[in-house]
Amino acid sequence: MQADLWRRLDERFGRRQFLLKSGWACFWIFLGGWLLSNLRYLFPNVLYEPTLSFKAGKPADYPLGISEKWKKTQRAWIIRTDQGFYCFWARCTHLGCTPNWFDAENRFKCPCHGSNFNRSGDVIAGPAPKPLWRCAIKLADDGQLLVDKARLENRPGPREQGDFFLPYTRA
Amino acid sequence: MADKAPSLTPFVKKTKIWKSVFRHDFTDTPRTRLQRIFGNVFLHLHPVRIAKDAIRVTYTWGLGGISFYLFLVLIVTGILLMFYYRPASSLAYQDMKDLSFAVTLGQLLRNMHRWAAHLMVVTVIFHMLRVFLTGAYKPPREYNWVVGVLLLVMTLFLSYTGYLLPWDQLALWAVTVGAQMAANSPMLGNEGPFRLPFITTSNDARFGLIGGTMIGDATLIRFYVLHCIAVPFIFSVFLCVHLWRVRKDSFSKQTGEKVDVWPHLVSREFLAALLVTVILFVWSMVLNAPLEAQANLNVTPNPSKAPWYFLGLQELLVYFDPWIAGVVLPTIIIIGLMAIPYVDTNPKGVGSWAKMRWRRVGPIPVWSAEERPFAVSVFMLGITMWFVLIFIGTYCRGPNWEWYWPWEAWSHRRIAKMTLKNIPNLWGSLLVGSYFLLGSPVPQKVKAMLSAKAGPQAPARASAALHVGLGLLISAALFVPLLISPDADYPSRSRYTTLFEALGRCRNAPVVSTMYALVQQLGPAAGYALIAVMIGLVGLLLGWAGMRFAKLKDRLYEELGLIKYSVVISLLLMMMGVLGKIVLRLAFGIKYLISLPMFNFNI
Repeated sequence: MQADLWRRLDERFGRRQFLLKSGWACFWIFLGGWLLSNLRYLFPNVLYEPTLSFKAGKPADYPLGISEKWKKTQRAWIIRTDQGFYCFWARCTHLGCTPNWFDAENRFKCPCHGSNFNRSGDVIAGPAPKPLWRCAIKLADDGQLLVDKARLENRPGPREQGDFFLPYTRA
Repeated sequence: MADKAPSLTPFVKKTKIWKSVFRHDFTDTPRTRLQRIFGNVFLHLHPVRIAKDAIRVTYTWGLGGISFYLFLVLIVTGILLMFYYRPASSLAYQDMKDLSFAVTLGQLLRNMHRWAAHLMVVTVIFHMLRVFLTGAYKPPREYNWVVGVLLLVMTLFLSYTGYLLPWDQLALWAVTVGAQMAANSPMLGNEGPFRLPFITTSNDARFGLIGGTMIGDATLIRFYVLHCIAVPFIFSVFLCVHLWRVRKDSFSKQTGEKVDVWPHLVSREFLAALLVTVILFVWSMVLNAPLEAQANLNVTPNPSKAPWYFLGLQELLVYFDPWIAGVVLPTIIIIGLMAIPYVDTNPKGVGSWAKMRWRRVGPIPVWSAEERPFAVSVFMLGITMWFVLIFIGTYCRGPNWEWYWPWEAWSHRRIAKMTLKNIPNLWGSLLVGSYFLLGSPVPQKVKAMLSAKAGPQAPARASAALHVGLGLLISAALFVPLLISPDADYPSRSRYTTLFEALGRCRNAPVVSTMYALVQQLGPAAGYALIAVMIGLVGLLLGWAGMRFAKLKDRLYEELGLIKYSVVISLLLMMMGVLGKIVLRLAFGIKYLISLPMFNFNI
């Protein structure tokens, strides 16, 4: 039995087959490697995309509530509460459409698949799996709000402190 | 007799040039009929002779041929459109406007391209239906059905990549949603479940698809290349295989005397192409292809709807987590379609349309196919469901993707506070688990063992206990948590303390609010008693339905064996489960049955 197995192995991978097998192995490895490496080709290294941070004016210019001032140009809502500021990225966490704010119902609603979010960005209806993303917000040196959409947070807790909430109580 | 006018024709036909091009003459003789087919590269895909019944219009309706013809039309009109179209986000929309208003015949060509694409989706789907209903996918044509499914998928993908190109609002938002679905794919998507550790927004599947982190020029050129070159190339390869296989395996209909393909089949093909062309021209002259406002990433149209053939998928996305509805379910549908010829072992019903007749299932009269009732019913149910979803997406969804009846006027300021609640996971798992257990058969061996041990009535009693038990369990696992579970969204500080109260007071869960009203009207004792009776009845109904199918299940199990049976029954149960989930969402206000946010697993 053992000898038989050895013989069959020898027939398949033995000395006589060595060059042929290695030749074919090289062929397939090269072809497969080349095709796979083209997958990497599809992922660009340099992106020419606009910067994700913007200055949003003086905090005193914002009344309490939800400001849609930057939605058209920067895709963000800036919300002022009596404690301070936070900023939503206006992008539904379901499949990336831009929700609309409905003041009368006190919620954001997404036009694509019907997700609803409340004022703190939590999902209250529809298929969205996660709360709305909040952007990092701080005061720039010139006293303007500086929003950074590259840094995002949506976990209850972390999103209400640090870079994602700007305490501001002056009139 | 007057002299015959001197004619050039005989002279021309004798020249070396003519003879080098046309190798036979065109008089209608049996010999030239054959020569026309095998002497011509374009026609030699045909056999020279074919069964007379196979080319009857009412057998195939020419659907495969028409789809092929539409593909050719799309290539021609597409090539012409490419002369004016520049794939850059700053130019594309302007070029569409140019084509519509400034280029001679530009609008007509664009219309023809768009409507031919829509028509091709229709004919390809109907071709699939025809092949199914005439049993033409059965051996030896199983693999060709698989290729056909791939061609259907590619047809849809070509449509999808095509409608980004005008760079209008429809384009942008359809691609946003599609790309986001890629980001939700398991392992390779940045927001998907089981994300691999090295995956980020700048190397996930979405990034590869759109060529960046946001949709822009890189996306447009990618979709342009996919639409105009890459996918048509692969499509053509598979099309060759598809047509070659049809030629090799011949038509599924083999009866009737054989007739010459020239002129009998070729003339039919010509007439079909002529008819389609006329329809396409009239359609394109009467109706312009839609072109919405220029793409704007910061404004989503409300509602934002995909073209009709994707609205079923868009509607499905409402009911499940994106990776389930957008990645898993379509994959299962495609694989399920491909699996059909391999799990359908019934050799009957090849070569003729399924004969339908009325028969009784219990007290219900059912219209089903005589020779393959199960296959035809399940397939038609699936197709119908898909079109019902498309109907809902098209006619029943308004602003904010809220439910509007087709006769209702849309209002962007309608106050409609949707309330949706999750069922606690344990109850949900019980519900889903017992639902899928409904598919378990009682194999012959077990039956024999049971009757040997406990008498001849034992198998029937066991089956009844199994199905009624599961029915009651499903019913209880649905209603009990609705009645008693606390509302997790409003911990302790709300006056709505249970799901029953929360859903009972809202307007989008008719069944639960009816139950709630019942309790309010009749008082708790009578109300809850009535509800308990209803739960029992629903359970018994489910159990009865399960028992009606028990015999069929057992027979299928014996015929197919474990593996094929498992495939068939899981596909069937998943299909019905999607339907059930839709009902639960629309009538009970249930958001998810099982919700595990850490795995993005929400069903």
